[in-house]
Amino acid sequence: MNLEADIVIVGGGMAGLVAGTIASEGGLSSIVLRKGESATSMSSGAIDVVGYLPDGTIPFESPKEGLVALASLYPFHPYSILGFGEGKPAFAEKVITGVEAAVGWLKDKLKDSVAKIVGGLDSNILSLSILGTTKPTCLIQETMVSDGFANEFDSTLLFLGVKGYPDFFASAAAKSFLEQSEIEQEGPRKVAHSTVRISPFGNTCNISASEIARHLDHDDALGELLPQIKKTVDTLGATHVALPPILGIKNARGNRQRIEEEVGAIVFELLAFPPSIPGLRLQRALEETYRKSGGQLLLGHEALSAYKEKNRYVSVQAGAPRRSIRISTKAVVSATGKFIGGGLRGAEDGLTETVFNLMTVTGNLIQADNIRPYDYTSPFAVDTGGHSIFSCGLTVDPQFRPVMPDGQPDADNLFAAGSTLAGYDYLVEKSGLGVALVSGFYAGKNAADAAKEVD
Amino acid sequence: MTKSDVVVVGGGSTGTAVARDCALRGLKTLMLERDDIASATVGTCAGMISSGLKYMDEPHIVDMCSQEVVHLNRIARHIVMKNPILTPMLELSDLSSGGSFAEEYSKRAAKREVPPVLFLTPEDSLKIEPKLNPNIIASMYFEEFFIDPFRLCMLQAIDAQRAGALIRTYCEVIDITVKDDSVDEVLFYDRVKGDIERVKTKTVVNAGGPWAPGIAKMAESNVEIRPNKGAHVILDRRVVNVGIIAKAVDGRMIYLFPHENTVLLGTTALDTWEDPDTLVASHDEIEYLLQSMEWVVPSIREARIIRTMAGVRPLVANWKVPEDKVTRGYETIDHEFEDVRGLFSFTGGKLVMCRHMAETVTDLVCEKLGVKHKCTTHEIPLPGMEADVDILAFSADYGISQHAVERLRARRGTEMTRVLELTRENPDWRTTICACEPVLEAEIRYSIREEFPQNLNDLRRRVRLGTGPCQGTFCTYKASAILMEELDLSGEGFKVDILDFLAERWKGKRQSFRREQLVQEEVTQGMYTCVANLDQSEIEYDPKPWEGSI
Repeated sequence: MNLEADIVIVGGGMAGLVAGTIASEGGLSSIVLRKGESATSMSSGAIDVVGYLPDGTIPFESPKEGLVALASLYPFHPYSILGFGEGKPAFAEKVITGVEAAVGWLKDKLKDSVAKIVGGLDSNILSLSILGTTKPTCLIQETMVSDGFANEFDSTLLFLGVKGYPDFFASAAAKSFLEQSEIEQEGPRKVAHSTVRISPFGNTCNISASEIARHLDHDDALGELLPQIKKTVDTLGATHVALPPILGIKNARGNRQRIEEEVGAIVFELLAFPPSIPGLRLQRALEETYRKSGGQLLLGHEALSAYKEKNRYVSVQAGAPRRSIRISTKAVVSATGKFIGGGLRGAEDGLTETVFNLMTVTGNLIQADNIRPYDYTSPFAVDTGGHSIFSCGLTVDPQFRPVMPDGQPDADNLFAAGSTLAGYDYLVEKSGLGVALVSGFYAGKNAADAAKEVD
Repeated sequence: MTKSDVVVVGGGSTGTAVARDCALRGLKTLMLERDDIASATVGTCAGMISSGLKYMDEPHIVDMCSQEVVHLNRIARHIVMKNPILTPMLELSDLSSGGSFAEEYSKRAAKREVPPVLFLTPEDSLKIEPKLNPNIIASMYFEEFFIDPFRLCMLQAIDAQRAGALIRTYCEVIDITVKDDSVDEVLFYDRVKGDIERVKTKTVVNAGGPWAPGIAKMAESNVEIRPNKGAHVILDRRVVNVGIIAKAVDGRMIYLFPHENTVLLGTTALDTWEDPDTLVASHDEIEYLLQSMEWVVPSIREARIIRTMAGVRPLVANWKVPEDKVTRGYETIDHEFEDVRGLFSFTGGKLVMCRHMAETVTDLVCEKLGVKHKCTTHEIPLPGMEADVDILAFSADYGISQHAVERLRARRGTEMTRVLELTRENPDWRTTICACEPVLEAEIRYSIREEFPQNLNDLRRRVRLGTGPCQGTFCTYKASAILMEELDLSGEGFKVDILDFLAERWKGKRQSFRREQLVQEEVTQGMYTCVANLDQSEIEYDPKPWEGSI
């Protein structure tokens, strides 16, 4: 089978879907290939822009502050690339304007979706996780808004778990959070914890987040839950209720509103580990946005290789279990992800890029095709300096075109975005979905321009 | 306790066996382990209770091993597994050396209730194990027994406890005083409470393994060992149907053994001067094992390596001979010859001999104390051995998957009902906490209440928490919360336990870090570093010994 599209995007997570939507909005036809579940759908659903410098221990008050620091200290960071103009590094203002445009665009796209987001570059939001820890993030879903319990003198925060749902232990989160806020001498006056019973599909044990969320998507499902929450809230005098993110895949916003009205407390979802429902919501909302823009999403299709004529890719070969497709195209965006997404593969004798056979580099932009992954790890499992293997990837020019060992772009019309990029460690910086959004936004724009050149 | 008949130093396979024997013979027994039960040498072994393939030139040891297998099958059948083993041969010279082994093995086969050695054609060998190199000229088939080394030590310790022994983990001996040429007092530091305690004793059994020389020194005595490093590579599932033994690049024997839900590829044997606490498998060892096995199992590198483990064998100090010429037997040292009465030490030994070693030393201790009781450790079953278990009936009765029930049985035998009973009152404790194994919440809570774990790593040894492909990624935070609830730990304790367990798992993952484990680690880091922000938590984290030695 043969298909045709102005732009082919390899990878259907945040970076790929943003790039695809941008291309569609530029009046071009596009195809996004997604081979499996994206890393975006496994994320907490909050969009980090930047929280820390690599190896830094002081959180940035605002993403803006972080972008300025990165622009001066890390000129090859994917954000800093936006500051390049006419071949030389330009100013942090250019980076901020660039990131702001992408963030503003996304907020607008998702405003009526299941993953409506709030927040902005002027301040980081200190978000609570299921372990009772906090982390600075830029944009959170509306269902995660806690309305500043940290500053209210007279508030009581209730952590509420579900019996038989092992991903969240309210008791541990409450203790962990309480001790932390005592050290920092801020936060709610009281912290409490309790559990409720929900039995989605009749289960009383081994309950998963997606079972609860799908259960709560049904109109009448809240009935079982509301009196239990109300009773606990009334007994403990809770003003805020922290729940694991289980409020629904489709109806989370509505459910949250109903619970708040019914129990008279502020209800919010915590950041959670995969499989995380807010991540799934974000993924769905991005897919819907892309489809609405006119793009075509091919699920279960893996890009196998791509063909170049002179300096331009002209087609991408994709495979699904029972078919093989050749897609003729004018420009390509590679948003294949890192190790989870499968864009990079690391064996004992080096790192390879899996689709286009591009040059891989370390975080310091040294060629990585012969590295031993062990050498790019820290002896500490959890380390503020991170494991530098996770800052390996592709190096790109200011247009986001992957660069080869000769210093030249691999092709005039291939662009890369998302975690496949080198030069930043999203795990310690807390910058994952932010870089995916911003690089997807500009790689998409540049790809659209490159496709138009062909006509 | 301020007074005891015997203090056993070390809680490995030998130490727990000695504590059990002493307690069963009515001695007032205190066992001191500076870490956890089975946390060092025995915790890094393959669990083979060997008939003695590798030491055929020491027939008396082969006899002893065969007899011990019979005993272990009698007292601990519930934690013993039988593995068929193929030894494929690629050259004619392999056949001749195999012949003499076959003869020795077959002589003792009937006793252990296994068939004599069979020689198989390449076709028959490939039928049993399709992953074998098709160019083999023949293979030897025989059967060996394996035991869960962690459970063996735990059950020995628990049985000792039930017989009246005091089992103290996280208690490090800091001095042994000698008075009038006899041991008099043992000083130890309780690492959990932070207290120093002392106990008067007439005898001390030094079962410290690689630490035995240091322990002897405290009593102004001498023990010499030849420390030997052994490393294993662990694969994520049972990639072979049977055990495979092959010749390594240097002509030594190495093996690929299905073990629980994994496969162990091992082992190396290197004279070592490293601190056992900082020891990890090296890149050379990993590649040595992979290349050696590749000749008989060509697809071995396609398998997913989840981690490595390394330990130190406290071999008998035979010097100036190659490692494989060092005796596999053990020696018991009565330090009376150097004017320290009441102190006994071990060197050498194998897992399969631990009960035998205990019997020998306990005889000596009893003689010294004038106690006449006979050894019964080969007759009295270990906890959980009462009867066979009907997995299907339990599964239906308690509403728990057959697989989970069977794994529970493999660890606890009939005592699994104590775990299952907890789910009657708390049906939600049937929830799976570690999905790789699997481990239920009820078993974790039972273990915390009854088996004295102090942290998640201790729980791993008791219930195999975090030993599967994800290496604790998805169970660490859940189990840590349960531990916090059960032990009433602080919120900081909750996070420290998470970080400690991640550190312990990383120790083994890091050495063989490649391929699928990069994907796995990105998920792990995504959770604990990126989402939970634990890299920024300001808790009191004690760096681990191996974290300092880059």
